[in-house]
Amino acid sequence: MLKYTLRRILGMIPMLFLISVVVFTLALAMPGDPFSGEIDPNNTDPEYIEEMREKLGLNDPIHVQYGRWITNFVQGDFGKSTRYKMPVSDLIAERMPNTIFLGVTSLAITYILAFAMGMYAGRRPYTPGDHFIGGFNYFGLAIPSYIAGVFAIYLFSFQLGWIPFQGSVDITLEKGTLDYWISKIHHVITPAIVLGLLSTASYTQFLRNDIIENSRKDFVRTARAKGTPERKIYNVHILRNSVIPLITFLGFDIVTLVNGAIITEAIFTYPGIGQLFLSSVTNQDYPVLMTLTMMFSFLVLLGNLIADILYGVVDPRIRLD
Amino acid sequence: MEVLTEKNTKQTPSKPPKSMSPWAIARRKFVRNKLAMVSSFFLLTVMIMSFLAPYITTIDITRVNIGQMSLPPSGEHWLGTDKSGRDVFVRLLYGGRVSLTVGIAATALIVVFGTVIGSIAGYFGGVVDSVLMRFTDFILNFPFLVFVIVLNAILFGKLSGVWVLIVVISVLGWGGVARLVRSKILSEKENEYILAAISIGCKPSKVIIKHLLPNVLSTIIVQATILFATMIVAESGLSYLGFGVPTEVPSWGNMLSTSRDPDVMQNMPWTWIPPAVVLTLTILSINFIGEGIKDALNPKSYR
Repeated sequence: MLKYTLRRILGMIPMLFLISVVVFTLALAMPGDPFSGEIDPNNTDPEYIEEMREKLGLNDPIHVQYGRWITNFVQGDFGKSTRYKMPVSDLIAERMPNTIFLGVTSLAITYILAFAMGMYAGRRPYTPGDHFIGGFNYFGLAIPSYIAGVFAIYLFSFQLGWIPFQGSVDITLEKGTLDYWISKIHHVITPAIVLGLLSTASYTQFLRNDIIENSRKDFVRTARAKGTPERKIYNVHILRNSVIPLITFLGFDIVTLVNGAIITEAIFTYPGIGQLFLSSVTNQDYPVLMTLTMMFSFLVLLGNLIADILYGVVDPRIRLD
Repeated sequence: MEVLTEKNTKQTPSKPPKSMSPWAIARRKFVRNKLAMVSSFFLLTVMIMSFLAPYITTIDITRVNIGQMSLPPSGEHWLGTDKSGRDVFVRLLYGGRVSLTVGIAATALIVVFGTVIGSIAGYFGGVVDSVLMRFTDFILNFPFLVFVIVLNAILFGKLSGVWVLIVVISVLGWGGVARLVRSKILSEKENEYILAAISIGCKPSKVIIKHLLPNVLSTIIVQATILFATMIVAESGLSYLGFGVPTEVPSWGNMLSTSRDPDVMQNMPWTWIPPAVVLTLTILSINFIGEGIKDALNPKSYR
């Protein structure tokens, strides 16, 4: 197992290198000078611009520029945001907690709902309750998150006034107080449900089908024959077997959250990493854009790695490959 | 089926009754699936109405009409007008045209490209397979949305209109199909008929196109329907964020993005609810059709 894990981690390194080359190339291909943030835009004296370009190394050959960028990057120096005039690492550190909070809440809601509904439907297949959950799943899979988000805002915040429609916290509240945290949860709950809608539907469906399939197996018949209560059969014997494949989805959750956070944060104007990314594209804030793209790619790689390793844990045959 | 059999035996008693072809069986199963049929009907209606939009209405969609701004639904404007005085119903038709075009074109490109890469990798194996599959893994490891947004920003203005988006989505989206086709080809090429085809001297291109692909076609078709829905979602999602098709082009996503203005969202729901509903129904019906096709092409399922 350890050997397999190590091999997978080592396999990530060339991938990360290639992705960094792609990100760098894309940044060069974008309109404007990717690293010109330090140049004062109001000073149009060609001599000054040339001097600054020379000083910032923009006249060096491309591979030298790449080398410098990646060296700084690996050492944690991501450059300075051209828009916010502050180090990118600080900017990300400021927004990151919001996104993590959103992601974790979304995961928690997803798993709680999926387990509750999946176990209910799996135990009573083809009953009205199961069909109701099945219908919900169809909608969950078909409705894109932005439509669900827009409807949620329209219904719950404009019509009913239950939830705020933007921001991550009520800014008038003092940091650290109980009200502050309640306000935070109040702000995050709807985006989190919207973000987790798709996963909830697919996990519920998966768990239901797996429970039904497992309930026809021999060990269940044995358990029934020796008089185990039906409750225990479903909640212990079957669930244990059905949860295993579900665990492997954890890695893919990271990928879903990365892609989903961008859209969800835009709908709810929630100040997180996804929104920072979108604004960096619109404002051509290249240091932020490059760092975030690298970070997202790294997270996706990590997610796939976790999924693969968990597959290896669950199914020993995969490790031999 | 019984009627057919009787007829056949009466006419030519010496020949055994002709059984139905796999495609005919699949078609019968699909036609009997009510949900899939209703969905097909709905999707067809949406497609026809969208693509014939210029013939259905003669209203100019690009003109800003100051006298008729922000009107609620009425007899004259079935779904009202938006902030620039443009008729929502007409824009919905034209928007469907753009959204469906992006969906169809991107799906077609992805399926063709993914199938070519996947079947070459699967058929030849060895070094070719390793190289192509590493490349596929590489593409699959990109966060799709992030790179589509970045690439779109670069290519914006260099290609015309919706084609930027179609090309970008397709370039980043073919990985899944390639992997799927490869795995199917890998198992299919172990069969004896492939060995026979090779031993009578068929060229690799002929073996792949004439013998292997027809046998993995059902998987590709099912995958294509799922992709079609995914691509429509991707287009409208990106347009909603402002990184999809150019804002002056009407598409369902662009219409929906007007709801980002709180005033429009609260006071003019008739401008954004119709595209949202049509979009959801379209995706739902594509999903049902996909289920139907999957069921119909699966020889183990009986309905």
